[in-house]
Amino acid sequence: MHSGYWLMATLFLPLITAAVLVGVPDSRKDIVRYISVTVGAVLFAMSVFIFFAYEVDHGGGYQFFIRYDWLENVAFLGPHGISLALGLDGISAPMVLLTGVVAFGGTLISWKIEHHNKDFFILFWVLVAGVYGTFESLDLFFFFFWYEVAVLPMYLLIAVWGSSSVFETFSRTKEYSAMKLTIMLVSASILIFLGIFAVFKEAGLGTFDLQQLYAYHFDENFQKMAFPLFVIGCGVLAGLWPFHTWSPDGHVSAPTAVSMLHAGVLMKLGAFGIIRLGIQLLPEGATFWMPGLMILATCNVVYGAFAATAQRDFKYMIGYSSVSHMGLVLMGLATMNQIGIDGAVLQMFAHGVMTATFFAMVGSVYDQTHTRDMRQYSGLVHRMPLFVFFFGLAGLASLGLPGLSGFVAEFHIFVGAFRTYPWAGALGIFAAAMTAVYILRMMSMAMFGPVDDKWNDLKEMTYLERGTAVLLLAAMLFMGLWPAPFIDRISETVRVLPGVS
Amino acid sequence: MDDAWVLPALPIAGFVVLLLFSPWLPRKGDWLAIGLMGITFLLVLVIGRDVQNAIGDGNFHGVARSWQWSNIPGVLEIRMGTFVDQITLVMLFCVTFVATMVMVYSTSYMHGDRRYGWFYAIVSLFVASMLTLVLADNLLLLYFAWELVGLCSMLLIGYYNDKQSAAEAAKKAFITTRVGDVGLLIGIIILFTQTHTFNIQQILAMAEAGDINSKWLTGAAICMFAGACGKSAQFPLHVWLPDAMEGPTPVSALIHAATMVVAGVYLVARMLPLFEAVDGMPELITVIGLITTLGAAFIGLAQRDIKRVVAYSTLNSLGLMMVALGSGAVGAAMLYLFVHSFFKASLFLASGSVIHATEQQEVDKLGGLWSKMPITAPVFAIGAAAMAGVIPLSGFWAKDEILAGVYHGPVNHAALVLVLISLPVTALYMTRVVLLTFFGEPKDHHVHEHAHESPPLMTVPIAILAGLTLVAGLVIFEGVGKALGFHSGWLGFVYNLGEGPEEFKVVWWLSIYSVVSVGASIAAGAWIWGGAAEPSKRAAAFSPFLYRMFLNRFYIDEVYQLVIDKVVLAAGQAVAWFDRAVVNDSGVNGTGEATNYLAFLAKYQQTGKIPNYALGIVIGVVVIAIVAFGYRT
Repeated sequence: MHSGYWLMATLFLPLITAAVLVGVPDSRKDIVRYISVTVGAVLFAMSVFIFFAYEVDHGGGYQFFIRYDWLENVAFLGPHGISLALGLDGISAPMVLLTGVVAFGGTLISWKIEHHNKDFFILFWVLVAGVYGTFESLDLFFFFFWYEVAVLPMYLLIAVWGSSSVFETFSRTKEYSAMKLTIMLVSASILIFLGIFAVFKEAGLGTFDLQQLYAYHFDENFQKMAFPLFVIGCGVLAGLWPFHTWSPDGHVSAPTAVSMLHAGVLMKLGAFGIIRLGIQLLPEGATFWMPGLMILATCNVVYGAFAATAQRDFKYMIGYSSVSHMGLVLMGLATMNQIGIDGAVLQMFAHGVMTATFFAMVGSVYDQTHTRDMRQYSGLVHRMPLFVFFFGLAGLASLGLPGLSGFVAEFHIFVGAFRTYPWAGALGIFAAAMTAVYILRMMSMAMFGPVDDKWNDLKEMTYLERGTAVLLLAAMLFMGLWPAPFIDRISETVRVLPGVS
Repeated sequence: MDDAWVLPALPIAGFVVLLLFSPWLPRKGDWLAIGLMGITFLLVLVIGRDVQNAIGDGNFHGVARSWQWSNIPGVLEIRMGTFVDQITLVMLFCVTFVATMVMVYSTSYMHGDRRYGWFYAIVSLFVASMLTLVLADNLLLLYFAWELVGLCSMLLIGYYNDKQSAAEAAKKAFITTRVGDVGLLIGIIILFTQTHTFNIQQILAMAEAGDINSKWLTGAAICMFAGACGKSAQFPLHVWLPDAMEGPTPVSALIHAATMVVAGVYLVARMLPLFEAVDGMPELITVIGLITTLGAAFIGLAQRDIKRVVAYSTLNSLGLMMVALGSGAVGAAMLYLFVHSFFKASLFLASGSVIHATEQQEVDKLGGLWSKMPITAPVFAIGAAAMAGVIPLSGFWAKDEILAGVYHGPVNHAALVLVLISLPVTALYMTRVVLLTFFGEPKDHHVHEHAHESPPLMTVPIAILAGLTLVAGLVIFEGVGKALGFHSGWLGFVYNLGEGPEEFKVVWWLSIYSVVSVGASIAAGAWIWGGAAEPSKRAAAFSPFLYRMFLNRFYIDEVYQLVIDKVVLAAGQAVAWFDRAVVNDSGVNGTGEATNYLAFLAKYQQTGKIPNYALGIVIGVVVIAIVAFGYRT
């Protein structure tokens, strides 16, 4: 069988599921659940298979490649003008695995959704298809198409299934967060859109095929002009400072599974776009602009860490810590050397599973108590020891404890950063230490100490939540203890990226 | 020796089994953890014999073995492996021996605790991490283990998780040591950037050969020393150690004697050639060590909690080891570390026995326990005497070597004077705690009447440790070393491989001073605290200012708390405010409102009245006409 069909399957299985769910009666919530979890498991299995079937030492080039021409030789389009071209390299292979893990976890955790769960899962599967499509597309047109498909369902998912919160000095309604998220991301997409057409016009090849465009050498001045369009356009989705504020607010308002996908994979699309569209397409522009990105990324890292220490809402704290950790991804990319970019891709995976765990855990408490204010809690460990165990492990991964995924990634980023920008590397390590401050403050405030009688009725996580936690934790431990499968795949591709030293 | 990886692998296996299955195992699996630890200890003895044989053959360069962990071809290859030499061996021996004793002791001390299985699981992981740390052949694996040691210590300090104070102490320990760890990681990365390797022996060779840019080498050395300061609780990162008393007492024994605080000393000893290659670094190490040792000795004089006094005696000892390392006396420092692990473990476990029996740890409420606790009391006294440096207990010989080392060392003799001052102070506060706990009139009769000796599972391990405390120092003599099967005494055996053994030196006047000052100090202590209450009150009233300073630990904790609250957290608040008020409310919402306003203005274009549109058309036609005619002419 042609191996490209595997990618087709990851892309169309979620779409077909969404279509099938349309036909399920609203009242049969159980059928919706069984279908979704089954599909989640199948996608997970396929992603694992694809990750391991990806051959290291393949001799370069894209694997699992498949192409269907859609429009060619019409008007301004030449051969392969617009085609659904899918393929994997060593950077997208771990991303596919990540999507499989987080999406499966998301379906498990969404089992408990009662409110219109059919519609929820339809949007959920469209979003997942968009994510797979973006990671796998080798065509500019379809890259953008799937990118938007992944972003837009967020609006409804947050505005309908989200939650509004009132804080001491301000309040956040779910409608506001959903609107802000969508407007900021769509405005950023305009930049990408402009960039794509500028690239198409400048190359004049009559094709959106990325492999042909990669082979074309763009004029240096054009590269310097076009690169910021991609970096800021994609950077907004990656939480680039100062365009990050959609992210913490979005998390606070989003339902659990959407937070998981949002922080777990969606933000990675931004960083992935910077590699695919920025570094690969416009390497000289990248070389020129990367010092600037390094400054913004360092702001991300330090600013996010400080903002997180002041938060008293679980999700805001995790949201700002995501800003900080996504800053590390951008920092790794900005080094433009092999170790740093390897680290950035590793961090994309590591941060994905770690934050997904965080949100899954917060959801399991929030659904019982309907408050996320950590000052309300004390001694949770006596009521929910397993919850604290998993939350603690995610926290340790977040603060870079060796043996869990975060350390491997951060370490590579720091080594890479020290090569070119020692000050940035030192600030990054400092911010990683700040992570320990806010994580442990939160743990000691909410999880330990004497138990509060208010929470006597709290129940331990459900079996589905435990399953999700174990799944994500296994991914964390896998990468933390044995990173070689990841590093082999990533480094092989990063080595041949243009402009990387 | 090639298979030294087995040593940490055994306790790790114990950890995994206990973590997953302990509720279903008989006795929650403590026998498994203890059994594996005992086997590990025996394997260490086997390795000791191998090392001895290898040295006997001459030309011993340590035994290294490693495996590839990850590889970015040509750029970053990470290997994990083990390296065994004499320094490693000393550490292995101390760690596994003390851990075995502590685990046996805990079967009784922790009996009936609701998280008994978890306790043994974490202790196993703790020991495995420490074994990995000392066996690591490269800095990355060392860092790996270093962090795991920190994690386990946090879990064990916060073991009584229904106490807020325990959670706070655990957090403090982890974050304080992590401040140092930031330094360590930066240091490791700088060294990697300069040398392109993590392998310790290669880095040391390059540092000694002067192949590393001296500016970066200095930076790396200072950063790594910061890491050592954090773990080994050196000033100014010492504040976590006394609070670490919140954990169960066996854990304190483990942390202080074997698995945690000596890691920093080990790191400095291991990397000493690198530190010595940096100008001024030995002086820095000495100064930090001196501040720690003297400060701790004075603070120890005024503390009321028996475990806290012992904790400050650890700080005192660690400072002394750093001073020895600053003078390049690796053998002396390691000898002190070796005997310290015995007497500190016996001090802690004996005080644990006191707490177990009386459920009190304030010395103000104890007293007169000597007759009630016929095994615990002498054990504690022996430990205290060794700590004080009474001849011929083990502490004396180790201190004597350190004195000689500092005397012959390259560092200023002012250091020697300060060390000499610290000796009688140490003896004074150790005398105080022994007298207040075990002698004199019982201060609280209720406590006294209910006191009883602890069960054999507790007293036998501490008796063994006390026995070793009595004799372990004698290994300094060549005859004893040969009798034990080694080819020489301690100093001929334990040395940095690159540097060769130190001479066994005796500086007679230093030894005599040591004996006399300690003796005098104990006599003074006996006079102040042994009899009537009057002299001790007068001692406290001698200088209320100093007393307050000692009692409140020079207010260093308070200063740190202030800095954390006023600087770190305030900065966090400021950033969070900025993010909401400036970035979000002005930046994002402001953009939205500006757009809204523009739309508001623009909507007047669309009035719906035909005359307005007609006017627009006319103006348009005129403008186009003017432009068109303008072009023609």
